[in-house]
Amino acid sequence: MNAAGRVGDLLHPRGLLPRSTVVILLAWMLAGLAAVLYVAHATQQRAHAAAQTRLNELLDTVESTVQVACFAKDATLAGELAQGLLNSSDVLAVAISADRGVLARAARAGAPVAADATAIRRDIRSPFDAGKVVGDIVLIPDPWVLQTRVVEEIRFAVLQLSWQLAMVAFAVAVVMLLFVVRPIKAMSDRLHRMDPAAGDRLPIPGRHADTEIGQLAGDINELADRLVTALAAERELRIQREIDERKYHALFDNAESGIFLIDDQGALLSWNRAFPRLFGLAPEHAEETLRDARLEALPWLHPARAAGFPASVAEAGAPLARDFAVRLAGGAERWLNVAINPVGDKLLQGVVHDVSHLKEAEARARRQMVTDTLTGLANRAGLEERMRVLMHAGAGAFALLLVDLDQFKRVNEGMGLPAGDEVLKATTARLSNCVKRDDTVARLSADRFGVILDRVADAGAAESIATRILTELRHPYFIDGAPLHLRASIGITLYPRDGGDLPTLLRQAELAMDSAKATGGDACARFDTHLAEAAERRRRLERDLRDAIRERRFELFYQPIIDLRDNRLAGAEALIRWCHPERGLVPPDEFIPLAEKTGLIVDIGLLALDAACQQLSAWNRAGLSHSLSLNVSGCQIPDGLTPEQLLAACHRHGVPPGRLALEITEGVMLRDVEKSLRWLRTVHDMGFRVYLDDFGTGYSSLSYLRLFPVDTLKVDKSFVRDLRADGHGHTLAAAIIAMGDSLGLDVVAEGVESSAQLNALRDLGCRYVQGFLFSRPVPAGDFAAAATRVECYLAEQARAQAGLF
Amino acid sequence: MRAPLPLLLGLLVFATAPAVADPVVVVSARGDVQRLDREDVVNIFLGRYRRFPDGSTARPVDQPEFSPTKAAFYRKLVNKDLNEINAYWARLVFSGKTPPPARVASAEEVATFILATPGGIGYLARDQVDARFRIVLELPR
Repeated sequence: MNAAGRVGDLLHPRGLLPRSTVVILLAWMLAGLAAVLYVAHATQQRAHAAAQTRLNELLDTVESTVQVACFAKDATLAGELAQGLLNSSDVLAVAISADRGVLARAARAGAPVAADATAIRRDIRSPFDAGKVVGDIVLIPDPWVLQTRVVEEIRFAVLQLSWQLAMVAFAVAVVMLLFVVRPIKAMSDRLHRMDPAAGDRLPIPGRHADTEIGQLAGDINELADRLVTALAAERELRIQREIDERKYHALFDNAESGIFLIDDQGALLSWNRAFPRLFGLAPEHAEETLRDARLEALPWLHPARAAGFPASVAEAGAPLARDFAVRLAGGAERWLNVAINPVGDKLLQGVVHDVSHLKEAEARARRQMVTDTLTGLANRAGLEERMRVLMHAGAGAFALLLVDLDQFKRVNEGMGLPAGDEVLKATTARLSNCVKRDDTVARLSADRFGVILDRVADAGAAESIATRILTELRHPYFIDGAPLHLRASIGITLYPRDGGDLPTLLRQAELAMDSAKATGGDACARFDTHLAEAAERRRRLERDLRDAIRERRFELFYQPIIDLRDNRLAGAEALIRWCHPERGLVPPDEFIPLAEKTGLIVDIGLLALDAACQQLSAWNRAGLSHSLSLNVSGCQIPDGLTPEQLLAACHRHGVPPGRLALEITEGVMLRDVEKSLRWLRTVHDMGFRVYLDDFGTGYSSLSYLRLFPVDTLKVDKSFVRDLRADGHGHTLAAAIIAMGDSLGLDVVAEGVESSAQLNALRDLGCRYVQGFLFSRPVPAGDFAAAATRVECYLAEQARAQAGLF
Repeated sequence: MRAPLPLLLGLLVFATAPAVADPVVVVSARGDVQRLDREDVVNIFLGRYRRFPDGSTARPVDQPEFSPTKAAFYRKLVNKDLNEINAYWARLVFSGKTPPPARVASAEEVATFILATPGGIGYLARDQVDARFRIVLELPR
């Protein structure tokens, strides 16, 4: 150890006690030095002042004598005085002078005499004149005397300081030892042996409960508490983590899904047990097969597709999942869903599921989706898919046949659904027999079948097959042993000659079929462009009709009805006209059938009802008691024009229901007889009158006349037209009129165009007539004029008849 | 107040009359010394410097002890009483170097001394001064 080290050790000893001792000593030395210096200085000052005082006092004592000596310049007296002053130990030398001359000088033997700052000089004044200086006296004090006194004083001070400080140092050392060093040492020893985890804690040293030592011990104990708690928590956490890890490991190992880790190049890094199993690898060989392998090395059915997958996930930076087929060792195939998820650090984590059963279910569902369960044929979707396949494959032409059983609904309604199903199954079998193996038979809806004749481009070939089908289906079906005869209608369209896309083909086939059916059924029709045009016309008409309803572009025309018995105007029939913006007035027979077919008749009917009621109300206000008949289509009965709506319209316009007649046709009775009857009875009971229109032209059953609450029969204009011929028509008209008469019904003859017809009808006893003879149907505004004309005509007739008689 | 002037003057005369007449310092009228200032007189009578201004030796003489003139002289000259003057001389006679002024038995002897001694100088009450003497310093107070 070098010298500097030793000095350092001396200044920084180990242990509090020596260290504090050294500090105290150093502090004491410094303080002592300062004290001694101060004492020396103060003592010197004091001693000097004291010497001065003493010397001045000495001078005071001898001053009067010195004055005398100096005044008289008496050297002897001065010498005496000087010697006398030397007797004082303080005085080193004396000099007395008078008027520039030294009177006396005296000095202690052996001492060097020098007049320094300490010398005292005093002017001596004349004893008789205080204002006159007659000499001076100089006293030089003895410095040794002063010095000696100072040294003594310092020595005493140092001595005193020394023992006082020694006492203090000792006391401090003892206190340090007792109150600091020993407790700390004890604590330190205890700490070395202490085991905090076992619950050991530092005892508070005696009598230190409220000192810093006690506080320190408390702090240490608190720290130990916290440490122990933290350690315990840490241990618990570690155990929990181990458990968790084991759990996750178990999850990883025992998962049914394959879990694996790859890098972004597709190299396999880690996998669980299920992973090789899913790829059909034997567990014992899995390790060596997969070690250092790449993802594409697995037995994918399409390895190239699988190889690019990790790259696309890495590129997307987001999880992706895809289904891949793998070929197992036995040759079987399996579908695996592989989901890969980038987990950062160029690593990808993947999960593999066996989705073979899902794929199967999917395929099954797809099959079911395109299959008709009743017949096992393809359904509409299946047919469409097949067509799509054929069209996409560019395989060339095919023919689409739409086969619809005529009147099949009657089978279901009349014989029950199982019978209908039997018929459909039988039809399926017969259709299948008529086509080749590559052709497709599908059931599109209840009794409608679609047939795709593959590679049939020729209309003739398609038609011959269609004819064969018609022939086949004509054979009777045997249901519960009873023969059932059914017919079919077939529409034919050809791809690609007739249409290039699927919806078009289907529509064309349907149009063709509709046209076949329109001809009475049991026929096949090929699609041609006229059908499409007609359909387009219908479509446009329907659109215009909807617009017209929205814009209320209908108007009622009124054709007067004349009462022949009373020779007056009885009322009118309301006839609807469509005010088309381009075509002008459109007669009802051009749009009512379509309106009936599309259900628009309901809206039109309501508009007409409203207009009719309005007109009745106007007549009522004009004091006219005309009745008005309104045509009601069978489609409006019973729900399109409810009795409540009728009544409400009448109330709205303040019209008595008895003024409004509802003209229905015999067709109404061909529909749901029960509901129609209920409707008729209800409106009749409400007071509305019921006219039966076109009587005799349809399949009228006379019993309906008894059954239905009919007030009036309208003789169709075809019968009236024949009246002139005096033949068959005459007889029929006469019969109808007679029948009405006998049943107590009023009869209105329509279409009266000539006075001959009028006369004939009058002769037959027909009470009411209408027709061009009197007036065409006229708009509401022209009706008054028409009525006037009619009345003029009637008056003329009356006059003529009167003239006749 | 309207006191008659003669009365006031009379009162003044009366007041000064009992006091000793002012002492005056005289030399023989035959001597050369004409005039001395107060300091010269102090130096000569108190032994500091016993020469006239022209350098000739001065020989002072005191009035007899207990003479009111002596007391008045020293009182007027240095404002000391006779005890103090005596104490002063007591210290000096110890060394023997500076003798006090000559002592005579009576006032007549003082005049004689002044006239007879060369360089003689003394002080007299003013009424004792006659033509034989020359006043060299008056002590007005």
